[in-house]
Amino acid sequence: MTQIEYRVTDFDCPTCASNVERTLAKTEGVDRAAVHYTTGRVEVEYDEAAVDDAELERTIAKQGYTPRLR
Amino acid sequence: MDLRRQFQKHRKPAVVVASGLLFAVGWVAGYGSGLETASATLMVLAALVGGYDVARKAYYTLRSGTVGINTLVTLAAIGAIAIGEYWEAAAVVFLFALGTYLEARTMSKTRSALTELLEMTPDTALVRRDGDGGEASRASKSRAGSPRDYVEVPARDVEPGETVLVKPGAKVPVDGDVVGGESAIDQAPVTGESAPVYKRAGDEVYAGTVNQEGALEVVATGTGRDTTLERIIRRVEEAQEATAPTETIIERFATYYTPAIVALAVGAYAVTGNAVLALTLLVIGCPGALVIGPPVSIVSAIGSAARSGVLLKGGEHLETAGKIDLVAFDKTGTLTSGESTVANVTGFGVDDETVLRHAAIAEKRSEHHLADAILEAASGPSGDSAPVADGGAVLERSTEATGLEPDGPAIPDPDDFAVAAGKGVLAGHDGRRIVVGNRTLLDERGIDVPDRVERHVRDREEAGETAVYVALEDEVVGVVSIRDELRPAAAGVVAALENAGVRTVMLTGDNERTARSVAASVGIDDYRAGLLPEEKQRAIESFRDDGHVVSMVGDGINDAPSLATADVGVAMGAAGTDTAIETADVALMADDLERIPDAVGLSKATRRNVAENVAVAVATVGLLLAGVFGGYVHMASGMLIHIASVLLVILNGMRLLRY
Repeated sequence: MTQIEYRVTDFDCPTCASNVERTLAKTEGVDRAAVHYTTGRVEVEYDEAAVDDAELERTIAKQGYTPRLR
Repeated sequence: MDLRRQFQKHRKPAVVVASGLLFAVGWVAGYGSGLETASATLMVLAALVGGYDVARKAYYTLRSGTVGINTLVTLAAIGAIAIGEYWEAAAVVFLFALGTYLEARTMSKTRSALTELLEMTPDTALVRRDGDGGEASRASKSRAGSPRDYVEVPARDVEPGETVLVKPGAKVPVDGDVVGGESAIDQAPVTGESAPVYKRAGDEVYAGTVNQEGALEVVATGTGRDTTLERIIRRVEEAQEATAPTETIIERFATYYTPAIVALAVGAYAVTGNAVLALTLLVIGCPGALVIGPPVSIVSAIGSAARSGVLLKGGEHLETAGKIDLVAFDKTGTLTSGESTVANVTGFGVDDETVLRHAAIAEKRSEHHLADAILEAASGPSGDSAPVADGGAVLERSTEATGLEPDGPAIPDPDDFAVAAGKGVLAGHDGRRIVVGNRTLLDERGIDVPDRVERHVRDREEAGETAVYVALEDEVVGVVSIRDELRPAAAGVVAALENAGVRTVMLTGDNERTARSVAASVGIDDYRAGLLPEEKQRAIESFRDDGHVVSMVGDGINDAPSLATADVGVAMGAAGTDTAIETADVALMADDLERIPDAVGLSKATRRNVAENVAVAVATVGLLLAGVFGGYVHMASGMLIHIASVLLVILNGMRLLRY
């Protein structure tokens, strides 16, 4: 299980952040996802065999937000 | 390629500007020149440009099974175009894009208190790496500040135990212990202290602080993500992410509000057939200000506190701290500096020197803080009186300072030694029995205390000192009086709290007379003396049972049980103790009592701020609903009021950043 942490500074609203969280959590290979609107922190625990970080970044970007590695 | 990246970077403002321009030109075309078709085309274009991202987000939101504001705005815009209200569609989309852009901008300002801290740590460090394995002997001869032995590496690659050189004017890259050099350090980024702190061999320095004067050699103890600053940042973020009770209530409300408004919109259309009314309801269907207001207030407050060296565990504790009406202080190390010094030695039948010397022999192996004071006094003039801050000269006498051996007479080891916990110590030396301790210990051992000794002890205790009896061969030969200076700020802080209507109490394990004297000089009427740690905890419980919201201020280690029992536990001087940073409800990074009334004030201001934001949000929702049904508010004006209210609560919350 690998852990990764992103910063997203362009969330529009609290609901938008929880949507990203839900989508990440549903992604194949993701074990746990936590997205915090107040700090812009995105934590993901995932299985490297099933999904890579580029895919995670794409998932966030597709929702309209810019993930940055801390 | 480069152009594309530039566009990606500024995509959001570019979209807002493009949509706005199309809208403006379309408006002029329509109302100024009467070119109806051209105007309508431009308006639809404006809606498409501004709405593309919104619609995309709406799509993903729907796919994740929820209805968010993007969904509502998209539906409203499509609906408006469908019924020919091109102007409304363009206005709603443009205003929404502008609003969310500004919202994201201001929100990231709110988070900036933290990003500023993140940028405090330097990226690289100068580390001593000779690479020949035998560096120890050679290195010890090299003087601090000879950069040829050092290589520059990324700060996070420094291993604990390695020696780092911190040049004057540079930032400290790691947590560590000073082994060479002396300098003044600006610790504000970590502890919030405004005055520089003087550091020399044996002192701890923190990553992210700024070396102001001389070069320092530092042995790393914590590097990379394992530094005090990183722990502070993580702690602050966790605090900002934790939801306060108010937020939980509001979030529950919000989950029902949006579907309810959608249902209302459908119902209103079914009953009245008024499409504009129904679409307007969709536009205002997201309780934006309500869900954003409280978190913004709390995040700003926690960030603002962190910058002044106060760590708050979360919004919940912030809300509780605003209700505190009783503050209990520990005495030693909290109201006093905790640095004990021997104030007086008096011999009875022997000379003062003999009293101090025997006390020191007996206490040599003790770890009590009073023992340190006695040993320091007995070993004569120590290095502590060395001159402070003298800039450039520091380089010259660095390495010798590491082998610190006080130059007073050596204290021999006791032949045997035993601790009577909370009472004193027993030791043997040269075949003579030494007892050093309080009255209880002497009474237990059946040692008589002559009247004149007792009078002397009473005088010292009434002056706020702690008197320790010294007995040789079961006969009292003298008294060592130890003084622990009051913190200069203590009296002012007590007065500030009392003025704010907060009751103050002092809890101490020290004796009645010393306690009374200290309490009187800081202005606390209510004190409890002679308490064991669990009795302090019981005192806190009883205050809570009396209906008080209680804060306990202590050192975070010895007072841990009392801090945990209090509604708000405040740990002092947390910079050096990881557990205090992790566990205390409120951690004061420096030993700065004055932050306590500040923190209480900030908590009160935050509670007020949250209430204001909720009031603004509720008033906005009421006003909008009344306006929509009264026919005064249409799609564009509804959106305008909506985003205005969101920006208003964010700006209001951000006022706390400057508290």
